Amino acid sequence: MNPNENNRIKRFTLTHRIFHLLLILSFLTLGTTGLSRMYIETSWGKMMAWVFGGYESCLIIHKYVGIFLICLFLAHILYLLYKIDWRQFPRSLFGPDSLLPQPRDIKNFFQHTLWFFGLSKAPRFDRWGYWEKFDYWAVFWGIPILGITGLLMAYSLLASRIIPGWGLNVALWIHRIEAILAMAHVFIIHFFIAHLRRHSFPMDLAMFEGSVDLAPARYEKHSWVARLEETGKLQGLFVPQVSISIRVLFYIFGYAAMCVGVFLLIGGLINSTSITW
Amino acid sequence: MVKNNPIRGASRWVAASMLAILLCLPEAASTQEEVASAIRRYKERELSTGYYEQYEAKPRHIAPLVGVPGVTRGIFPYSTSAAQVRTRTRLADSHWGIKFYKNLRCEYCHVRETRDIHTVRANLTCRQCHGGEPIASLEHYYSPFNPIRKHAYVCSKCHEDSSASFASYVVHPPNPALIGTMKTFPVLFYAFWIMIAITAGTFIIFLPHMVAWGIRELFNKKEKAEGEPKRK
Repeated sequence: MNPNENNRIKRFTLTHRIFHLLLILSFLTLGTTGLSRMYIETSWGKMMAWVFGGYESCLIIHKYVGIFLICLFLAHILYLLYKIDWRQFPRSLFGPDSLLPQPRDIKNFFQHTLWFFGLSKAPRFDRWGYWEKFDYWAVFWGIPILGITGLLMAYSLLASRIIPGWGLNVALWIHRIEAILAMAHVFIIHFFIAHLRRHSFPMDLAMFEGSVDLAPARYEKHSWVARLEETGKLQGLFVPQVSISIRVLFYIFGYAAMCVGVFLLIGGLINSTSITW
Repeated sequence: MVKNNPIRGASRWVAASMLAILLCLPEAASTQEEVASAIRRYKERELSTGYYEQYEAKPRHIAPLVGVPGVTRGIFPYSTSAAQVRTRTRLADSHWGIKFYKNLRCEYCHVRETRDIHTVRANLTCRQCHGGEPIASLEHYYSPFNPIRKHAYVCSKCHEDSSASFASYVVHPPNPALIGTMKTFPVLFYAFWIMIAITAGTFIIFLPHMVAWGIRELFNKKEKAEGEPKRK
């Protein structure tokens, strides 16, 4: 931890961080209420359901938080439409600041993989690494899939006017597998990259604090920092570090979220054979 | 780019879109809730005592001398054409002719039908939907389970205002993973396996990737990349 105040550069705006925070809270609530219903036959599921007031109130909470997450997603779409540089429209989407996947990301993925085995030099990532883009698009695809199938089931009578009733059987399975995929991905891969690998350990504060230390950023996101230096934008991005008490708060929150995730992951795996699928 | 206050901008978007959603969606009506323990609506529609499995109507009398091919063999079996309308799917008593029927429990034969959301989660007993004896075959003209009236006679006991389309929900769905489901419920089968393929693909690629990355970083300090200019 470098105490030098001039060493932090801004990476995420307050809007990004608020979106991420609301996403964490709603995602974990949805995961917990959803799994407590799915595992209601086991004592693990009953114990979780008890926290939310039982089997039926779990569903009520699940539905309203789900609708909230859909709203958050739509708000994000509006935010994107507002933020896209329309004057240089198609070109701005393929710039280095864009989250859109590009051929370079595939190249980076393979080069990074080769680097793991010492077969290549480390790739020089720009602002977004391919794993960050993957995380972003996983959520971007996951919320509509889960949201649409969830709405179909929540408003099942209405939905059966639009689709045949047996479509709800299909919706249930799509919702279920996509939710398992999303949770497993976040609780294993996302948490590992953000918390456990050596360069992030014990926790990557970037998404909470909004800023990163320059030296590691220069190492991990070399092209990004180099580009900022070339265009002279780097000087404008230095921000002061938050106070130690706020940092402690971030660590507590981050680890609480990770504990919930690991609890859901382990409990879900252990009890998976004793439920009716 | 226009300068703006990010909090105000974000909260305005969130508020506006939430309002729009809440205005567009119908109210989460109580009729659409799943009925697990609350049986009030069910009781409004059901005339029986509700004490299922304890006081049951006996199965119909079996005519000992008349048989249905594949069902019972009597001295005077039905002709082939007469038997066609008396197969299990069209009988007034679908369990007609089963030996020791009154001593059997439903799950003795219908094991799979006891393992689904309606029975396991909502704790419904068979009789609450299928009624007392005789249980008519699904395609029997007067059966409450005949698709022409199932939504009104069965589903709407709990799901008020259900439609024929709603009633086509498969309450006892087949296991989507099994190859047999490709014939009986192809959409479910393919949806399941496509989703499984996406999930498996993600983890087959990213789990080893993650592990390799984690191990590689153990041997690599957080430091500057090679040949990189020093900070001024």
